[in-house]
Amino acid sequence: MRKLKISEKMRNLMAGYYMLGHSAEFRAWVTSGAPVEILYAMDVYPVYPENHGALIGAAKLGSHYSDFAERMGFSRDLCSYARCDIGCVFAGTSPIGGLPKPSFLFACNNICNTVVKWYEVLSRIFKVPLFVLDMPFIRKELKEYHLLYVEEQLYDFIRFVEKLTGNPLDDSKLRNVAMRSVEAVKLYGDCLKMARYKPSPMTCFDAFINMAPIVCLRGTEYAVNFYREMKEELEERVKNGVSAIDNERIRLLWDNIPIWYRLRWLSEFFESKNACLVADTYTNAWTGFGTIKSTDVISSLAEVYTVSYLNIGIDRMVEIIKGLIEFYEVDGVVMHSNRSCKPYSFGQYEIQKKLNVPSVIIEADMVDERAFSEAQIATRLEAFLENL
Amino acid sequence: MKIGYFCSFTPKELIHSAGFLPYRIFATRRPISLASAYIQSYSCSQVRGAIEEALNGDFYGFVVTRSCDTLMRLTDILEFLGKRVHNIEFPTKIGNVGYYVRELREFLDVLKKWGGEISFEKILESIRLYRELEEKMKRLFDISANYDLAIRIQQIDVAEAIRLVDERLEKAKKETGRKVLITGSVCPYPEIYDIFRKAGFSVKDDICTGRRFFEFSYPSFEPKDIDGALRYIAEKYFRKAPCPTKHYEGDYRFEYVLNLAKDCDAVVFLLVKFCEPHFFDFPQLKERLEKMGKKVALIELEFPIASLEQVRTRVEALKEVIE
Repeated sequence: MRKLKISEKMRNLMAGYYMLGHSAEFRAWVTSGAPVEILYAMDVYPVYPENHGALIGAAKLGSHYSDFAERMGFSRDLCSYARCDIGCVFAGTSPIGGLPKPSFLFACNNICNTVVKWYEVLSRIFKVPLFVLDMPFIRKELKEYHLLYVEEQLYDFIRFVEKLTGNPLDDSKLRNVAMRSVEAVKLYGDCLKMARYKPSPMTCFDAFINMAPIVCLRGTEYAVNFYREMKEELEERVKNGVSAIDNERIRLLWDNIPIWYRLRWLSEFFESKNACLVADTYTNAWTGFGTIKSTDVISSLAEVYTVSYLNIGIDRMVEIIKGLIEFYEVDGVVMHSNRSCKPYSFGQYEIQKKLNVPSVIIEADMVDERAFSEAQIATRLEAFLENL
Repeated sequence: MKIGYFCSFTPKELIHSAGFLPYRIFATRRPISLASAYIQSYSCSQVRGAIEEALNGDFYGFVVTRSCDTLMRLTDILEFLGKRVHNIEFPTKIGNVGYYVRELREFLDVLKKWGGEISFEKILESIRLYRELEEKMKRLFDISANYDLAIRIQQIDVAEAIRLVDERLEKAKKETGRKVLITGSVCPYPEIYDIFRKAGFSVKDDICTGRRFFEFSYPSFEPKDIDGALRYIAEKYFRKAPCPTKHYEGDYRFEYVLNLAKDCDAVVFLLVKFCEPHFFDFPQLKERLEKMGKKVALIELEFPIASLEQVRTRVEALKEVIE
């Protein structure tokens, strides 16, 4: 796989981001699908335990840190992001020396209800306040009263932060942050869309490796600049006919959170079969945060974040996946049945039956390498690719 | 006509008032075979068992009340199976009654679409009947818990259920012995509690198929119209015995369980494997209970229960420790 030059920059950018956390006056630990724009606008530094979990997984230290939590009684069946994050707190360290302690916690359940429980645990450990932003699950139709429910909570949240920090929210600042967020999301979406070219200049592994800024720095100039540069590099590749892998023969879509500790194994496996995983449903989920309106930031934040990818019914997920299949012209779908992520994984059997291209399900875990059976997965994937 | 439901936050009153039988679905003794085609093996056996039941039973429709992530996806899975379904978005954060009243109004529309008849008088009558049932169950359980009955009353008409409870109330005798608090998810196997009694315990519970089904504190106002009735139901369920799938102000669930444990010698966590909300609470709640001087044990279950013997061994060992 031809590595993107931008990945090196990403590492520096994220190192800087983590450094900043230690000097910030106010820090919130926040879930990946929360409206971070409010935090940036109120000078609260967002810390992302999920991103930390991914980092631990990629460092192949999932079971190591999970063990610290398991010894305290946390079940191995719990989400591995949560186990690793809680494990690092007990261990007092992590591959990046642990996360800086929170001033408060902000959990939004538009990605799962796991985060509510996980953050309750953190709230008891750190003895800091927790704000839960409760999003109704939009199985079919988004109703006005759903939005009103979320909007009211956003105002509650602003008051909550104002009280803790003593800093009132500045509307124009929020607008600026929101518009930077929209710009970053747009550029990020443009990057992902470059994979529509044949052969593709990137794989979903590039998307995974370079997704941290859209998660953590959405709303800042850093994310905008980063994805602008990434887009340029990809455009350059397309112009020069540089593909991510040689002899791209099969194009595939990935579903669910990456198997962080096996990114290299998987990318080499697919490359050896001339198969390119051009896109995925996971990184694509952040492209949905691009429709915040400058005229009505709070109510559009409510809407954008309520209908996040994991907070909608299977029918709508199928529509989105079909859209991706068509747009990226893929020949098949590889679905990661992820023991750690129930809302992402339950329903995959049904989704699979509604797709118009072949698909395969492999069972593993995003961070806990003990749940990965190489021989079994290789056999399954080989059989799938041979039949395409 | 039976409407199957799963979660004890489901507004049974509305289903009943519309002329349907609210029928709570549990994992039964039926082995799980069909469900494996529709949901992964790492979903809890309560849900796998419930899918098995749903596929085999004669249900008119299903109501799934939002609690955990697995139930959140269950509605779609049942719909995929060609069933008539509706999901009620019970809030995770307990607080905003107005929002939930709107959600209940939507539910009334669904019941109407399903051929149900909606009237204020009928809703009021159902509210009254369920309250009577719940208060009588509470009285019975304060004397002596009856888990057979607790399961049965969730699957029959409420008026019939009240008659059954009345009969038992007449005969109920106060339990004696060292008291154990059993806290956890659902456990539709009454013989589990018998194991505790045979070991010499008297039983108190915080279980979704026991006390959490009928323990409420009720709003003090009298509903005057349908909206008032919906508000009454919303407030009533917000004040149900707390569940770990909900987020409460001031860590209310921990305080509630610690309070229940006060007069108990031991606390047993009876948890269904893969039940994330309970397993997240377990370590810190256990720590608090141990600080109170309680002996704590964890028993992990999967339905159908393969071996009661293992449970018996654990319970007897616990009894020996506290003697």
